[in-house]
Amino acid sequence: MYQRRRARVLLAVLVLVALVLVTVDFRTDGKDGQGPLGWARGALSSVLGPVQEGLATIVRPIGNAVETFSDVFELRAENERLRARLQALEARRVSYDDVARQNDELRALLDLQSAGDMESVAARVIDLGSSNFDWTITLDVGSNDGVERDMVVINGDGLVGRVIQVTNSHARVLLAIDPNFGAPGRVARNAEAGPITGAGGKPLVFAPFDPEADIEAGDEIVTSQYSNSSFPSGIPIGTVEEPGSPGGLLTRQVTVRPFVDFSRLDVVLVVLENPDRPIFPDRLPPDLPFNPPLIGPDPTDTPSVSETPSDPFAQPSEAQEQP
Amino acid sequence: MIGRILVVTLVLVTTALMQTSLVPFLALGGYRPDLLLLVTIAFALRDGLLPGLRIGFAAGLLSDLLRNQSPVGLTALVFVGVVYAIGIARPYLATDSLTAPLLLASIGTLLGVGGYGVLGSVMGETPFSFDTIIQASIVSAVYATLLAPFVFAAVRFLTSQFPVETAPRPS
Repeated sequence: MYQRRRARVLLAVLVLVALVLVTVDFRTDGKDGQGPLGWARGALSSVLGPVQEGLATIVRPIGNAVETFSDVFELRAENERLRARLQALEARRVSYDDVARQNDELRALLDLQSAGDMESVAARVIDLGSSNFDWTITLDVGSNDGVERDMVVINGDGLVGRVIQVTNSHARVLLAIDPNFGAPGRVARNAEAGPITGAGGKPLVFAPFDPEADIEAGDEIVTSQYSNSSFPSGIPIGTVEEPGSPGGLLTRQVTVRPFVDFSRLDVVLVVLENPDRPIFPDRLPPDLPFNPPLIGPDPTDTPSVSETPSDPFAQPSEAQEQP
Repeated sequence: MIGRILVVTLVLVTTALMQTSLVPFLALGGYRPDLLLLVTIAFALRDGLLPGLRIGFAAGLLSDLLRNQSPVGLTALVFVGVVYAIGIARPYLATDSLTAPLLLASIGTLLGVGGYGVLGSVMGETPFSFDTIIQASIVSAVYATLLAPFVFAAVRFLTSQFPVETAPRPS
């Protein structure tokens, strides 16, 4: 009886402490690496990082062997699928060289940066996440290698995620399948744009701005650079699995199967571009200042607003302050 | 006493490291077993309510600090709840029963992972879908049942080497 009463008191104390921690973490933005609990997360990551690096080296071959064994049964089907795909691509390749040359020339004319020009740093995955509800990985590169928060992470298959926490030697990456992840996307075939978000263990969800857009199963979705986002344009994300029905709804949900196999990440690239905070209306930090694009003459010099063109899609000028 | 604290800390840290490096390869449909929760359940079944609560809180906190998208304290809250439920059920189990601990491991994991999903949806920024919570709970519970004999055997060995010191009862 005495034991039971002590247990109840201890339970009450521990529940109270846990609730206080939850509140403190919320209030101090610990999720973004700030406040005492954000610091504790970073400290634990720094302490366990070297051990995890060592473990990854040992465990990776074992994991690969297990996966290879389970793959044996799927190899025949995979082989047939790839042969069919190869034939389709061979047919397309004929015109590719010409189109690529044209693309290079046009890009040069427009002074656009292509995905191949991006400066990046290679990183090994040392931690594949600990929970069923937290789709993150840890990389063996950090601020010492030039990695910053919000940088984009890719691999040979396409978009992997976005850096959310950086210590000196390690970086934690939010995978594209996490429900908190969002990126600007577009259909490669017809440039229909819209945000693409993660949905946990399920395929990604693409919500085209135009619900009536012509989207078919098998269409490729790539990243887009609209709305001043930190995502370089043209990184492959995935293929449309179910185009959804356009009828009558304000938003359309298109499910997208990602190209990247998130359970087998090993070596990835962190794109060392200057990251801006991802701009999504529902994910804007509350203290973000409102900076309308300054187009034409600076309104502080010329008070007449009527001359300012109101093109919402025009690129912001260099005078605009980054949030 | 200090030896036991060190051993339990080492067990929890090792389990956390395995959870982030080895366990992801066991993922089934993207969902993976929760080793830290299973170790917590094993300690709660072996050592009883009071030590179980302390270990559960520590394991939950460690698990929290390894996650990024949910507030610190949430897993600790869930683990403490699971340990309390197991502590309540423990006196009613036959001591030599083999199936009862397995059943408790799977029900405890089901409640723990499901409870975390629900609480995370309420307290976190983005709610998890109902399907995700159900699937994660079921996969984790099945894995817990499969892994429980090994984890329980390891914990039984450790607790026999480093038993809980029972405090004298007040007269």
